[in-house]
Amino acid sequence: MNRRKAIGGILAITGIGIASYSGVNLFHGKSNRGQLKNYLNLLSELVDVIIPPTETPGAKEAKVQNYIIDFMESCSSKKEYNNFLNGLTDLQDTCLNNYDNNFEDCTMNQKVEVLENLDSNYDSNSLFAKIDAKIRGRSFFNILKSLTVEGYCTSELGATKLLAYVPVPFNYKAITTIEPNQKAWATR
Amino acid sequence: MKNQTEINTFDAIVVGSGISGGWAAKELTEGGLKTLVLERGRNVEHIKDYTTALKAPWEFKHRTHLTKEELEERPIQSSHCNAGDKHFYVKDSEHPYIQDKPFKWIRGYQVGGRSLTWGRQSYRFSELDFEANKKDGHGVDWPIRYNDLKEWYDYVEEYVGISGSSESLPHLPDGVFLPAIPMNAIEKHLKESVSKHYSDRLIINGRVANLSEYKEGRGKCMFRNLCSRGCPFSGYFSSNSTTLVDAYNSGNLTLREHSVVKEVIYDEETKKAVGVKIIDAISKEETTYYAKIIFLNASAIATASILLNSVSKSFPNGLGNSSLQVGHNLMDHVVNEGTYGTYDGLLDKYYEGRSPGTIYIPRFQNLNTKTTNTDFVRGYGIQGKGERENWESKPTEGFGVALKAQLETPGKWKISLGGRGEVLPNYENKISLDLQNRDQWGLPLVKVHFEYGSNDLAMMEHMTKASEDILIKAGFENVGSYRNSPPPGSAVHEMGTARMGNDPKTSVLNKYNQMHDVNNVFITDGSCMTSSGCQNPSLTYMALTARACRYAINQFKSNQL
Repeated sequence: MNRRKAIGGILAITGIGIASYSGVNLFHGKSNRGQLKNYLNLLSELVDVIIPPTETPGAKEAKVQNYIIDFMESCSSKKEYNNFLNGLTDLQDTCLNNYDNNFEDCTMNQKVEVLENLDSNYDSNSLFAKIDAKIRGRSFFNILKSLTVEGYCTSELGATKLLAYVPVPFNYKAITTIEPNQKAWATR
Repeated sequence: MKNQTEINTFDAIVVGSGISGGWAAKELTEGGLKTLVLERGRNVEHIKDYTTALKAPWEFKHRTHLTKEELEERPIQSSHCNAGDKHFYVKDSEHPYIQDKPFKWIRGYQVGGRSLTWGRQSYRFSELDFEANKKDGHGVDWPIRYNDLKEWYDYVEEYVGISGSSESLPHLPDGVFLPAIPMNAIEKHLKESVSKHYSDRLIINGRVANLSEYKEGRGKCMFRNLCSRGCPFSGYFSSNSTTLVDAYNSGNLTLREHSVVKEVIYDEETKKAVGVKIIDAISKEETTYYAKIIFLNASAIATASILLNSVSKSFPNGLGNSSLQVGHNLMDHVVNEGTYGTYDGLLDKYYEGRSPGTIYIPRFQNLNTKTTNTDFVRGYGIQGKGERENWESKPTEGFGVALKAQLETPGKWKISLGGRGEVLPNYENKISLDLQNRDQWGLPLVKVHFEYGSNDLAMMEHMTKASEDILIKAGFENVGSYRNSPPPGSAVHEMGTARMGNDPKTSVLNKYNQMHDVNNVFITDGSCMTSSGCQNPSLTYMALTARACRYAINQFKSNQL
């Protein structure tokens, strides 16, 4: 009996199962991916504290929470995905321990206090933070803040209400004088 | 009914539809030759197939980011593309090659090739460049001089539409220009500072193939700065928007997409190339097309690989390779990762519209005895861009209402500068074929072996220091440079693999880009370059192509091919 052929036959029959199983092992290790949709409400509240509604819309209305989930699920590195997921669960633990509530149900003062605490532990511009980010991936708050800023400023509401977005400028005026209340351009 | 050979017979075949292949198609068809253009990738119809061109940022699910899956398919191309233009770059997973040492081979397999995504910087070579090899002994002498090409630069610039300024610099000749894209406040500031602090260098408006004015049958630049997605306004030059349209309108063009060229067929009796054998990329069927003239415009690495794979009794080492130079002398431009700085001031100035252009510091080393550099020969130019920081680059503090206020307003001015330096021709830098490893069409994989030489590295160091010095003297703060230079190939200016020269023993092509060994094969893509200059090379490929086509058409009509 041709042993190789026999093994080939078994593999062919169970091919799909084996392929997907080894795929998980080889490419994602023990993957936590796919869980962030469970944190949609939490993320909605978080982004709205980082970019709150004022006379212009906030990040929640701009659906930044959806962008963050899409980005983290599909584009992030494994390290940063884990940092982010752990950050979310740590944050909920902190809120439950300190305020007996989920973040979503905390008062605005409590929400700000929690984020201020995270923010003071994070200085993205320091050399240490930059080196640390290279090795261990960016911290939870760093990821959360930069994705909120990016997601908001590239959302329709953020780009057109907070910032100035011109899809087809038509002309290039290389030197203009700043107007009162000049808004920054949304795109480069 | 015609037999298959007759149906498959043309006056000329052009391999490749990128920036030089498009020109060959236009010139040959307009010269009255029935021409077949073979493109290995899919068709990209002008405007209709620019599927992302008009998308707003929020219409991309992951904004400009590639997903992990897309990154895995594009470990090499991903440094040069994003979600908006990734469809104009190959998937490395489908088109593998072998890197002996790191070398980025950035490719776009589609009608129009990389003319859709090119940087559009367009500078003439000068007499200094054409004489360089002869003077310092690196490589072989160019068989042409600036005067041989001048009228052809005029001709292509008039057609392409280059926005730029006349500066009367002997080492960077002026051309036929549309009005320059103006400098913004910080760029002007830097220009004035450089004039004040240096006697040897100056800043000029970048010369760029974007239309600053309406051009018949085209449009004009709309200052969206999204060129690499394809321009629905025909605001920049690509094969798709111009040369291929004119070639089609001549009535003499046949374009066959999905045509992977396997080899050029050589006839031992007539001592000419008689045709091209292709593999259909989809069906994998082989077909042979016949013509009296063959132009290879597949880009430097691919053209050399086709020659090396075209083995015959007369040419056991590849077609037209009696010199054994085919595949060798691979060059790119040496680039540094970039220098940046911010500027406190001019805060009352801004701009409207998004410039697709740059500022340019023309070469200022080794121009004459006063600018001799003892660390390296030849020189480099520096490209730069000034803008005000926005949410992408502005450092912000905190969150909440305070963060929103920081994002809402323009930040400081900043400028980034990046050098582009001449790489010397070196026989050891080469591409070859790995017969043991083959792609999905059964063709041997290309193996690239490339390393910078000491001259190239000395230049890289100099351009970084010079860039920092220029910004510091102009009062910039936080001046710094990324110290790791990107891998060779990153400039996407690969060239030199079938060089022109006077001597058939040491070069592949003559002064009309015609093979020394096989006189009905012409090569006018980057392969033909005898030296690399430091100028972005596409304009020179276009001028050489138009010139070679004129010669080929005359030879064809007088029955000499």
